[in-house]
Amino acid sequence: MVDAVNGIKNEAIPPLGGAECEDFVQVPSRILQRMNRYTVTRTDNCIACGLCAALCPTGVHRRIEGHVRMLHPAEARCIGPTCAANDYYCVKNCPTQALTIAPNPIFNSMGDPRWTPDMILATWSQAETGQPIPLDHYTQTGNCGGGFDRIKFPLPPMRGNFEPEEISTAIDLNHRKKGPRVRINLPVYGGGMSFGSISKRTMSARAMTATEWNTFTCTGEGGYPDVLVPYKDHVITQIATGLFGVREETIQRAPIVEFKYAQGAKPGLGGHLLYEKNTPEVAKMREAVPYTSLFSPFPFHSVYSVEDHQKHLDWIHSVNPRALLSVKVSTPNDVEMVAVGSYYAGANIIHLDGGYGGTGAAPEIAKKNIAQPIEYAIPKVHRFLENEGVREDLTLIASGGMRTAMDIAKAIALGADGVVIGTAEMVAMGCVRCGNCESGRGCPRGIATTDKELELLNEIPTQARRLSNLYRSWQMQWKELLHRLEMTDIRELRGRTDLLRYDGVPGRMTL
Amino acid sequence: MYHHYHIDKKELPLGPNPVGKMLVTRSAACMNCGRCTLACVYKVHERSPVDPRVMWEPHSHLCKNCLKCVENCPQRALEVRISPVYSNLGEGIWTPTRVTTMWNESQTGKLPVFGAGYRGMFVGPGYDSMWTDMSEIVRPTRDGIHGREYISTTVDLGARVDHLEFGPSGQLLTAMPPIVQVPLPILMDVSRLTDLGTKALEGLIKAASTLGTFLFIPAEAKLPAGLGEAEGCLAPVFSSGKTAAPTVAAPKIVEFEMSPRWKEDLAALRSRFPGAVIAVRVPVSKGIEELAVDLVSGGVDVLHLLYDEQGKEQGTDRLARDSLLAINKALAQKSLREAVSILAAGGLAAAEHVPKSIICGADAVVLERALKVALGCHANASCPVCPMTDDKIDREFAYWRTINMIGAWRDQLLEVMGAMGVREARRLRGEIGRAIFYEDAERDAFANIQGGA
Repeated sequence: MVDAVNGIKNEAIPPLGGAECEDFVQVPSRILQRMNRYTVTRTDNCIACGLCAALCPTGVHRRIEGHVRMLHPAEARCIGPTCAANDYYCVKNCPTQALTIAPNPIFNSMGDPRWTPDMILATWSQAETGQPIPLDHYTQTGNCGGGFDRIKFPLPPMRGNFEPEEISTAIDLNHRKKGPRVRINLPVYGGGMSFGSISKRTMSARAMTATEWNTFTCTGEGGYPDVLVPYKDHVITQIATGLFGVREETIQRAPIVEFKYAQGAKPGLGGHLLYEKNTPEVAKMREAVPYTSLFSPFPFHSVYSVEDHQKHLDWIHSVNPRALLSVKVSTPNDVEMVAVGSYYAGANIIHLDGGYGGTGAAPEIAKKNIAQPIEYAIPKVHRFLENEGVREDLTLIASGGMRTAMDIAKAIALGADGVVIGTAEMVAMGCVRCGNCESGRGCPRGIATTDKELELLNEIPTQARRLSNLYRSWQMQWKELLHRLEMTDIRELRGRTDLLRYDGVPGRMTL
Repeated sequence: MYHHYHIDKKELPLGPNPVGKMLVTRSAACMNCGRCTLACVYKVHERSPVDPRVMWEPHSHLCKNCLKCVENCPQRALEVRISPVYSNLGEGIWTPTRVTTMWNESQTGKLPVFGAGYRGMFVGPGYDSMWTDMSEIVRPTRDGIHGREYISTTVDLGARVDHLEFGPSGQLLTAMPPIVQVPLPILMDVSRLTDLGTKALEGLIKAASTLGTFLFIPAEAKLPAGLGEAEGCLAPVFSSGKTAAPTVAAPKIVEFEMSPRWKEDLAALRSRFPGAVIAVRVPVSKGIEELAVDLVSGGVDVLHLLYDEQGKEQGTDRLARDSLLAINKALAQKSLREAVSILAAGGLAAAEHVPKSIICGADAVVLERALKVALGCHANASCPVCPMTDDKIDREFAYWRTINMIGAWRDQLLEVMGAMGVREARRLRGEIGRAIFYEDAERDAFANIQGGA
C-alpha cells in the first residue's frame, strides 16, 4: 500500500473492538480527499503570498513553511461559490486573481439517478468518520423520482432527553414459537455475495463487522471459505439452485440457512458467474471447472409446489435442527402468495428482494423490467400476512434498492421487520459504482474481484472499520428518528405507514 | 427434421474512434510518471508508442469511470468527465445510454450484462412505467439452462377465422385467409427512413432474408440488382391510389397507406396479390380505436400502426403503451381481435420495448430508426454530420450490425419470456395479466399513505 498521498497517511488501523461500537476510528481514504462538488484551481499567476491560506477557515489552501509554492488546494474542504458572501472568500481576495472555484466535472461523472454523486460521497463520509448525517439531508434520497425517493418522514422536532442508549434498534429473526431465539442489534444484515463475486478479503471484512455488531452476513452461493469460520455464528449460508459449494458441514455450521429462489435484480433468470471470475480457487470451492461460466438456473428443479418447498426446508432442518430457515424470493405480482406459502412450509424468515437491487452480473433488461420494486412488495406482503393472521409468526426482511439509513427506516415503516444491505456496504468500502463487477479482473477497486493482485488493494481491518462506521452512523440516525417519533424501539416503527408522507403527485417521470 | 432457429453473430466495431461515455483528459501538469498506467485496469492510459518517455493521449472510450487514475495521479493532471459527444446522443426517449447500448449490441451481438444493480429512473414514460411479471415457483420453461431453447418466438401475421365450416361430406367450406409466419416478432421498415444509402439497403435486405423476417420498402423503390431469393423478404408499401405500381414479384406481405379511399386500395391489392397478406399502415392519431374497428371489419389482415419516434400518437400525448391497450380492447369488445394482426412501429428504442409492445397488444414490432442506430446513427435530429453516409457503410457492415442487434434483442426477449414462464411469443400478445403497471402498483402500495395515489 502507498504510505501517504496528498499528505494523508495510511496509518495502521486498530482492530475492531467489542460489541459496544460506541467509539469509532476515522478511516481516511484518498478518493474522498479528491472529490467535491467544486474544484479549486490555482494558475501560474500565483505569487505564493499565502493570503488565501491565512484567510480560508476550512483549510483549503496551505503553504508549508520554507516552500516557495502553495500546496495544491485541498478541494474536498471547499464550500463552493456560496463562500463569495464571506469576507474571507479566497477568489475575491487573491491579489493576482490566480484562484477560481468552479463545478467539478469529475463529481458529475460519478453516480446515477438512484445513487447520486452526493449520496456516494455521503456514504463514503459516514464510512470514514462514523458520524451521522442529518435525517432530512438531501443525500438521504436519490434522484430517481419514485419509491423511496418520494416517500418522506415528516420529522417532528427534536425534543429534550435524547438518550441514545435507551433506544433499541434490535430485531428478532425468529418469531415462531419454537426454534432458537436470534436477535440482531441492527435491523440490517448483509446480503448474499458469493466467493467469486467478491474477494475473500471483502467477505472477511463483512463477517468481522457482522460479528462486531451482532448481526449477520451471508456467504451467497459458492461455498464457505475457511476464512469465515472464526465468524461462523454470524454467517448465513446460502443454498441456491446450482448447489455450488453446498456441503453438510457448512449447513451444520450456520445459524441461518437461506434458500435463494430468485434474486431481485435478475428474477426468473438464475445466478450467473461469468467465466472470467471463475478462477481456479473459486472453481475449487464450487467444485466446478475453472474459467467456465457457472449458472444457477431458476428455480430449484425439484420444487414445483409449496409441498416440495417444505420438503427442502425439512431437509435442512434434519441436517441442522438449530438453524433458522430463510427464503429469498423476488417480487412478482403474486409475491404475497409466495410469502404465505413459505410461511406454511415452515420458513422463519421471508426475504423479499426487489428489482432495483444490486447484482454482480445481470442482463440490463432484467434489472428494470422484470418483477416490481421492493417499495410495492413490502406493504403488499405485510398487509396480506396481517390479514391471514400470520404476520407475527414470520420475519419479513426486505432488500433491493435501499441505500441510506432513511431508506431502511421507510422500508420498516412500510411493513418490513428488517432489511438486507448489499450495495451500500460495497460503497462504504470504497465502491464508486462504476458497474463493472462482472468483468474479467472484476472490480478496479479490488472489492468485487477474484483477481489476486487487485484484491491486495484493500486491507481487511480497514474495510471492516469503514463498514462498522457506516453502521454506527446509521444506528445513530435511527435512534434520532425513533426519539423524534417518540418511540424507544425500532420494532414499534414496523408498518407505521401513517408516519409517512408521499411527496408530490404521483405521475409519470421522465427518463 | 426440427430446425432450431438460431442467429449467428459476428463482432463488428462501428469504427476506429468509438464514442465512449467518458472523456479523459490529461493536462499540461502531467509529469509522465506513469502511475495512471499502473492504476488503470482498462488500459486507458499508455505510454506513447513512439516515445516511451511521454504519456499517450488517454483512450477515453475504454474508461469505465472507476476514477482510480484520478485518485492516483500525483500531479492532479487527470480529469474524467462525461463526454459532450455522448451527452448529445439521441433525443427524448432515445437517451445516450440507449443509443450506446444499441451500438454495443450491434457490435457484439451480445445482450448487455453489467453489475451493480439498476441505475436509472424509477419509472419513465410509456413502456418504462410497466414491469413484466415473473412467477416464483411454477415455471413452464424449466428445462435447459434457462429453458430458453424451448421458447418459440415465432408469430403469425394475417387474419384468422374464428371458426371453420364444413360441408356435408366433410369438406372445408371456409375460405382460409393467407397467413405468414415470422420466426421472431421483429420486422424492419425503411420506408420512413431518410438518408439510407443503397449499400445499407442491400445489407438490410440480406439481413431480413437471413433472419426470415420482412423488410417494408416503398413499392416504387429502385431495388439493388441480383437479390435472388432475398427478394422474398420484401414487403412493398403502396401509396394510396398507386396499387398498380410495379414492384417485387409475388410478395408475401403487401401494404398500402391509409387514405379515405382505403377500401378501393384494399380491393385492388387483394385482387392483384390474392395469396398475400394485406396490411394497412395507419399513422396513429385521435380516434384510432374506431378506425381500427372499421379497418378490421373492412377486411384488412394486418394493422401496421405508426407512432412517432418518441412512441407517441400524432396530435395527442397518448403513448404507444396506452394506445395499444385501448386499440386491443376496442377490437376485443367487437370480437375482432383475432381477425387481425397488429404491428407497432415507432419509438422502439430498446430491447425491452419488444416484449412490452407485445404484452400491450401488438403481434410484432417494426424497427425503423433502430436500424439506423445499429449502423451508427446518433438518433438526433440536430446531428451535424451523418456518420452513416454511404461511403462509410458497406453491405456486409450493414448486414452484420443489423443481425447482431436483432439477435441481441431476440436473446433479451427470450430472457424476459423465460422469466415470465411464457413459452411462445404468440401467447405473450395482450397478456397484461403478466405485467405490472405503474399506476396500479402505485395505488396498491401507497393509497393509504398521506399524499399517495
